Amino acid sequence: MSQESEYEPKILGFLCRWCSYAGADLAGTSRKKYPANIRIIKIPCSGRIDPLLIIKALQTGFDGVLVSGCHPGDCHYQTGNYRARRRIAITKKFLEFMGVEPQRLQASWVSASEGGKFAEVVSEITRDLKEISPNRLFVDERDRTKATE
Amino acid sequence: MSETEQKLRNEARALLEQGRVDCIIGYEAGSLKFTTTPLITADIEDAERLVINPFITNNLSVFLGDVTGKAGIVAKGCDSRSIVSLIQDQQVVRENIFIIGIPCAGVIDLNKIEKLTGKDRDELDDIARQGDRALVTVGGVKKEFQAKDVLMDDCLSCDMPTPQEYDILLDEIGPMVCDKELSRSQIKELEDMTPEQRWAFWKNEFSRCIRCYACRQVCPACFCERCFVEESEPQWISPLPRWQDNLIFQLTRMIHVAGRCTDCGECQRACPVNIPLRSLSKRMEEIVDELFNYKAGTDKDAPPLMATYKSEEAEDFIR
Repeated sequence: MSQESEYEPKILGFLCRWCSYAGADLAGTSRKKYPANIRIIKIPCSGRIDPLLIIKALQTGFDGVLVSGCHPGDCHYQTGNYRARRRIAITKKFLEFMGVEPQRLQASWVSASEGGKFAEVVSEITRDLKEISPNRLFVDERDRTKATE
Repeated sequence: MSETEQKLRNEARALLEQGRVDCIIGYEAGSLKFTTTPLITADIEDAERLVINPFITNNLSVFLGDVTGKAGIVAKGCDSRSIVSLIQDQQVVRENIFIIGIPCAGVIDLNKIEKLTGKDRDELDDIARQGDRALVTVGGVKKEFQAKDVLMDDCLSCDMPTPQEYDILLDEIGPMVCDKELSRSQIKELEDMTPEQRWAFWKNEFSRCIRCYACRQVCPACFCERCFVEESEPQWISPLPRWQDNLIFQLTRMIHVAGRCTDCGECQRACPVNIPLRSLSKRMEEIVDELFNYKAGTDKDAPPLMATYKSEEAEDFIR
């Protein structure tokens, strides 16, 4: 099938409003080129991310999830990104044990001045996700409607 | 009656008589052979109903939130860890509980005994523990088995058979029968599979789930007053027991109790359709230990795992 060459992964990005979201903005204003595979949700802090949101995104049909926040020490609320780090580390390992490919959950620290880094991160993740098959984790062959549509 | 059991009854009676506790949470004989059931009582005479035997499966700490006043609670090693974990999470106040520590040489898994003897539990006359052996009497004939072949899987990896946190300790026990390899044999099997096979395995398991939430109800770590599965605005998962929603429920639950789960194995025992939940909780316990060198319920003064951080840790997966 020609699906592999045509497959464009859909990525959901949870970006912290203080750093990564501004970083993504900067990537745009400085005309950095990055794949259009990411859909962005602005969140108050990376510490807002409950594992449930990540799993929900995968169930909804996203091929990958990116959680991005401020660099350690730079959190607007002092400790949010440290807490996010613990949570995501555990979630990632546990999802792997359940059988979710590790590429599907990604994390990055992108500051408001790192437009270039944001573009790189999105390119890398898109490339990683193209190496694995589209997300069919929650698709049931008995369902008439596909979860991805 | 064992010596420890008599000690427990005397202790419970004295505690209630002197008014040092308002109620006792312990075990009494169950209505079926080789079972026990929780006993929560304020009646002094009920002290005579208390039992200690190799079938005390329940983790009684789950009841601590439901009783008022000062509670005396019978605790095995794993239960005492759950209690400590609840103290860390400020769900119970240490001064409001009186922990009666009992030594636990492991809880016997009747399913394993049934498999070994080929008999139904009703046909067995007696089951007794003796050191690293288990003696089963069937029709007047004594059969001897290795203890590690009849104990619950979670007991085989137990590091703390004797409670670390207690007000009174009834007895000490010798070295524990441990077989960590055997205890995590299913995890090993799963780890050797490809991700697709693992997902297919869990998909198959969770398609049996009827979402009775028994796993959640028996779990001392699941103390949220309102669980995300019952929220309707937004509705996170459908109330219908489809495998996708069943899996999301359990997956999220396991992540939510990370750092609180003490691998007591109650979720798996409560499951009416025998989903191997302990493989999930045990793996989660391992992950928490690998990443943060943290063991749930071992230090009542430590902050809970998810309420703290170190400035440098678990950084390798972040771009």
